[in-house]
Parts: sequence; structure tokens; C-alpha cells
Amino acid sequence: MANAVSGMAVDDECKLKFLELKAKRNYRFIIFKIEGQKVVVEKLGSPRDTYDDFTGSLPADECRYCVYDFDFTTNENCQKSKIFFIAWSPDSSRIRSKMVYASSKDRFKRELDGIQVELQATDPSEMSLDIIKGRAL
Amino acid sequence: MYGGDEVSAIVVDLGSHTCKAGYAGEDAPKAVFPSVVGSIDQMEVDDPATTDANPGSAVDAKINKTPEDGKSKGKRKLYVGSQSLGFRRDHMEVLSPFKDGIVADWDIVDHIWDHAFRECLLIDPKEHPMLLAEPSSNIQQQRERAVELMFEKYKVPALFLAKNAVLTSFASGRATSLVVDCGGGSTTVAPVHDGYVLQRAVTSSPIGGEFLTDCLMKSLGSKGIKIKPRYSFKRKEIRPGDFQTVDLVLPNTTESYRLYSQRVIASDIKESVCRAPDTPYDETAYANIPMTSYELPDGQTIEIGADRFKIPDILFNPSLAQTIPGMENFSELAPSVRGLSQMVIESISRCDVDIRRELFSSILLAGGTASMQQLKERLEKDLLEESPQSARIKVLASGNTTERRYSVWIGGSILASLGSFQQMWFSKSEYEEHGASYVQRKCP
Repeated sequence: MANAVSGMAVDDECKLKFLELKAKRNYRFIIFKIEGQKVVVEKLGSPRDTYDDFTGSLPADECRYCVYDFDFTTNENCQKSKIFFIAWSPDSSRIRSKMVYASSKDRFKRELDGIQVELQATDPSEMSLDIIKGRAL
Repeated sequence: MYGGDEVSAIVVDLGSHTCKAGYAGEDAPKAVFPSVVGSIDQMEVDDPATTDANPGSAVDAKINKTPEDGKSKGKRKLYVGSQSLGFRRDHMEVLSPFKDGIVADWDIVDHIWDHAFRECLLIDPKEHPMLLAEPSSNIQQQRERAVELMFEKYKVPALFLAKNAVLTSFASGRATSLVVDCGGGSTTVAPVHDGYVLQRAVTSSPIGGEFLTDCLMKSLGSKGIKIKPRYSFKRKEIRPGDFQTVDLVLPNTTESYRLYSQRVIASDIKESVCRAPDTPYDETAYANIPMTSYELPDGQTIEIGADRFKIPDILFNPSLAQTIPGMENFSELAPSVRGLSQMVIESISRCDVDIRRELFSSILLAGGTASMQQLKERLEKDLLEESPQSARIKVLASGNTTERRYSVWIGGSILASLGSFQQMWFSKSEYEEHGASYVQRKCP
């Protein structure tokens, strides 16, 4: 049991959609939000969506959790992909929602098996494409 | 939106300088009062006159007996809260429950809690779950003692202990961060990873707000400025706009009370005029700095120059304190005490390599002393110069002073008011079944 966790529940839909993203690769990204007392899926991105489409779907002043399937080419010219978990917690969001998302994150992340890189971002510059690339390599 | 409104938990953050208490779900603590108490030994109060008049009498013998009884604590009367402390009483000593950052006198803590519940918040602790914030490196014995006191004496229905650093980190929206808590009695740097404090990497120093206040007081004293405690004079308006100050002679005032009252004033001077210098303090460069004036309660106006910058710089360069007349005894401590930026770097370097980058980019500044002007900018600048080149440094402090000062309490307030948190409490029945040590499982 984690320290000072909020005890937030996770909707089964979150795990199912994440499995689909991982195994079938039929989503580019998933955005989750906390509603009531559980984490639910808010938005699904189609495989053709770009990284900008993804960041554009994030609210500027509310927290979210997101998973992004990032395709890239390594220095050896090898096609690869990595699954990112991003905790989006903009500075301008309400302190209450920051607290709720931060204290529920650990538990939620454990439900999603197969995350390769984790990131926490409090403004768009902390999850720019360059940073994503840097962390993937 | 998330919270169960019916839940009225109480959140208490007993810091080394101030106790913050209030209802969970609110934006700021309702009660904020000093963590020190006034104490009068009942025996002395009963018969000071007799003792003076007949030395060696039976009364005297009775007094001499008390210490042999093993310091029976029932024999003193404690005064808690800013108001009762603000009133000077003969022979009243000012005591702190803490020694070296941990609770040494539980009787005082008990009185402080009692004051918070019954006089400030007007609640019956039997009816409210209680969330206590605790120091990041609290030891098991201390936690169990707190649990016992809460369940046995206050009979609370449920309890939770949460670490300071974790609450601050969560309140800023991060499960991983480096929390720099500049408090009253000490400064603690604690890395938090996924909601856990990494105990091995916690660093702390005794330099906090109170130490700075003492330095300021000594430094002003060496320049001939004497801060008169508010109780030591009467000030009257004899004609409109014309005041007269009359000194009062109160020989029975204790030294600790005098010091306490002077600190209250000195701390206000510090908060109004001090700001962290942009670069390390340098005596010659600041010699011609313009003076800032401050009016003391007794009406005298003092001028403060270089001290405005020198005092805050002690946080970054503790050895500076030795140059202040009257603070020489600090030299025994000095070699082991590090400046703020070194503490940050040391703490991060004790963490796993994989998380260092993330810690460097989320350094959270919190605590009462964090409200010092320019402190955040200076820390960021020093870290940029001293840390490894590749690190991306970001120091964060809430722009809102209340949030910065009370981040621990606010974090606790939100957590305890979450509907989903209600299953996390350490309940009375669990305590009765498993005992106090179960707290290590429930609130790791």
C-alpha cells in the first residue's frame, strides 16, 4: 500500500483500452481523467493522430493522465516504439485537482502493465516532442 | 466534485515554530499559533513571597523536594496560544516541545493539541478523524507515541499520519519531487518518489527561520539597537500625534520570555525588510547599500542596511553567521552545516541515478521561510552554477503565499477530504485489534 494514497478506484475500461493500445495498436493515445471517485477514459486518439493532436487534446488548466504510443527511429535506423505515461498537472490547475491526481497516480500506473517511460509535466515545455524523443532513445 | 461533504476530518501540522490546525476541505488552516508554550511552576507561584521572606523555612524545604520527586509534570501550568503567550506573567518560562527536531516533551504536545481542538476549532476529537502531518524522517517510536495519545486520550475514531514532504509534493501535483522545506526550526531537503519519501537521501540543517531571526537580533544588538519587548513599556498619546513611552520594571520576567517577545518583533523585521541577495553576500559590495527604516513597537525608528541581505544569505552560506557578534558559539556546529544548494545536490546525489534528472527539474520550495523574497530565484541560480551540466534545473514555489507557507497543511486538507480517502484511515477498531505499531502498515 502506497504512502498517503487517495484510494481512488480505476474503471475497467481504462485497462481494456490500454491493452488494446499495447497489443492491437489501434489507438495513438488515451487520455484519462478522474471523475467521481474513479479514473475513467476521457478520449481515445486514432493511430493516425500526431503528437500535436495529442497535446492539443489536453486541457490547459486541468490535470489528466495520458498514455502515448510513440514511434521513432533509433540512431541505428531501426523502427521502434515506446509507450509513455504522462502525468499532466499544469501549474494553473486548481490545487485540489493537483493533489487528487498526484496522490492517485501510483496506484493507477500499476494497473497499466507495459508502460516504458514515465513523465510528469507541469507545463507544455516539459513534454515537448524533443523531451519525448530524448527519453525514448 | 470529488469529496464527500459529510466527512469533517481535522488536519493538524505541528511544526517546530507554528502549529497549523483546521478542518479538512478548507483552503487554509483555521488556527495558526506558536508551537511554544508558557509554563509556570505551580510551587513557585504559590509562595514566592514566603520564600523571599523566610529562607530556610519549611516552605523552602518543600520547594527543594520537588526536583527529587522526578520533575512531576502535574505541578506546572501551561499557557498555549498567541493570546495567552502575549500576556506577560511573573516567572513564566517559554518552553518548546521539540529538541533537535523531535518531540521531547509529550505533555506539551498534548496541551497544544488540546488547545487546537477545544479552544480554536471548538470540536470534540471523539467525533472527527484526524490527519497529522509528521516530519519526513520521523522515527517509529515517535509515531507510535502520537498514535497512542490520539486513540487513548482523545479517543479519535480514525487517524492518519502523512509525511510533510509527501503532502507538499502532492499539493503541487507531483508524485516525484525534491521538497526543500525551510521551516522555523530547521531546513529539510527530502526527495519524494511515487509518493514515498526516500529516507536515505533526506538531509537537514538546523538553520531555519528562527536561526535567522536570532542572527538578525544579535546583529542589530551589536549596532546598538535594542529591541524592547512589547510588555516592557507603556505608550500613551499625550497630545494628538505625540507619544510618550514609559518603561516598566518587571523583575520577575524570565529570560526565556524576554527572548520570546523580542523574537516576535525581530521576526517581523526580518519578514518586512530581508531579501535574499542575487549573488553571495560580500561585505564591501553591500557597505553602501541604502538603508531601509522600520518602526519598532516602542516608536523608535531603526535603519537596516546590509543586514537585509546578509541575514538571508546565511541560508546559503552558514559560516557567515560566525561573523555576527554574539553568534560565535555557532562555530562548533558550522563545519557540519551545509548551505541550501549543497544540501539539494547532496540529497539528489544520494538518490538512484534514474530519478536524479526528474528531481532536479522539480524542486519544490515550501515552509515559512520560503516566503523570503528572491529565495527561489537565488536557489535556482546557485544550483545552475553548482549542479552537473546536463541537469535541467527548475525550482518551483507557489505564487500564492498562503499555499507556499501552508503547503503541508493544504495537502493534508485535500487528502483527508477526498471521498476515496475514507477507506485509508487507520481506524479505532484496527488500533484496538493490532496496537499502535500497526501504524507502520497503515501509514508507511
